[in-house]
Amino acid sequence: MKLKTILWAALTFAVLLYLIAPIAVLIFSAFDDGKFFRFPPRELSLRWFRAALDSSEYRSALVNSTIIACLASVLSVTFGMMAALGLTRGGLRSRPAIEILLLAPLTLPLVVWAIALIQIYARLGLSGSFWGLLLAHTIIILPLSVRILMATLSNIDPNLEDAARSLGARPMRAFARTTLPLAMPGVLTSAAFGFLISFNDVVVTTFIAGASWMTFPVRMYSQLRGQGVDPITLAIGAMIVALTLVIVALGEARFKWSRRI
Amino acid sequence: MSIWSQPPGSLILDPTPTMENYVRIAGDGYYIRGLLRTLWLSLSTTAIAALLALPLSWWIVLRAGRFRGLMLTLVLIPMVCGALLPTLGLMNLLGPLGVINGTLKSLGLIDRSWKMLGNQTGILIGLVHAFLPLMVLPLVSALDRLPADVESAAMSLGANRRKVWRRVILPLAAPGLIAGSALVFCAALTSFVTPLILGQGKVATFATMAYQQASLVLDWPFASALAVVMLVILALIGAGAWGAQRWAADTP
Repeated sequence: MKLKTILWAALTFAVLLYLIAPIAVLIFSAFDDGKFFRFPPRELSLRWFRAALDSSEYRSALVNSTIIACLASVLSVTFGMMAALGLTRGGLRSRPAIEILLLAPLTLPLVVWAIALIQIYARLGLSGSFWGLLLAHTIIILPLSVRILMATLSNIDPNLEDAARSLGARPMRAFARTTLPLAMPGVLTSAAFGFLISFNDVVVTTFIAGASWMTFPVRMYSQLRGQGVDPITLAIGAMIVALTLVIVALGEARFKWSRRI
Repeated sequence: MSIWSQPPGSLILDPTPTMENYVRIAGDGYYIRGLLRTLWLSLSTTAIAALLALPLSWWIVLRAGRFRGLMLTLVLIPMVCGALLPTLGLMNLLGPLGVINGTLKSLGLIDRSWKMLGNQTGILIGLVHAFLPLMVLPLVSALDRLPADVESAAMSLGANRRKVWRRVILPLAAPGLIAGSALVFCAALTSFVTPLILGQGKVATFATMAYQQASLVLDWPFASALAVVMLVILALIGAGAWGAQRWAADTP
């Protein structure tokens, strides 16, 4: 009985270790001094972090990724909020149909979607452009935003907004002063998730990104396929992972993310 | 567009409907073998993920207590880091000079590197890692609905541990297990970044073939046909999972 409990615990921690090991190795190997990572390491240094900050090529890819991820997450939260409001409050008769249509892309695999998208973009002349990327990223994260925001709104009493309006507030103001502050945890969760997914997306972006608007994951991916692991990408990857971990840890501590998705 | 065709050596599409692309998939052993290999990999990924996720989710729900949030955060990590960064870490973990081989060598357990990249072992490890959260999260929400003392209640009625698992916990976890399996299978079937990088281009799966056709060969109609085949498989899996859910709900 006692032994069994210990075995269970050991098994659980082995699985957790398996989940975090690649991330831990990624961060650790960024500190390795050599051109090729080897274990046990010979010497540790910050050399590749310095090289990463100096490389203008990677800097521009990182800036591109950040711009697109920020805009895409703002757009998807805005449209997602409109959709969620309409669906939870609007009293639409077509609600189930619209809901299915909005949430369906969550189950559609990204590769299949990307293969369709390059063909559509080629006809519209959007391939490789900034707008094409932004549109694609917004669409990838929109279903997730709608889902998180709908769950949030369904827990907020719509009578509060009516009460504000009966006291003379205009519709926009009533929404901004009652529902929006209450929905803020959901809004922030959906914005942060949208940002992370867009920032780290490689599947759709490799299909549609061009040379002029290259995001960081795509640059790294073509590097990996061509020349193998570059220590500079390891350093940048380690920084991105560290940032992601901080965001997720804060989100879980503050808003219980694991229950919202 | 999968029923269009592209004359060899040209990028102009011929919009006359044709089944040529599907005939090519069915007739060419390369694609059939790739499809079977992909199905096998996805099936193994699902089975291993289920085996690993069950104890983990059970522990998170019933034993973790204060650490529940922390553990769920750890589970979420592979999901939010995207496909690429964990794969990069896995390359350094599994490579010939990587952590596992390095440790085993310095302990004197092996003298030649154990090859884990460029074959199905590496891909399997990567796929399970990437999609384990898709199995854990539905399982946790299914197990959450269990009353906290269900285990002791069943045992006080005279059931032993194995019986509790078989008669109480597994049936109650079944909806989560079915949903998780369907999600993991579909994700593994259509993933192409992990097989391409951990397989180092030596193991072709169905999704990497579609990627090559769409991005490198630029034969879009053929890539679309490959994508449609994947969609059909996914639809079958979806229908199967729905049927299994109904069956699990009907069986007491």
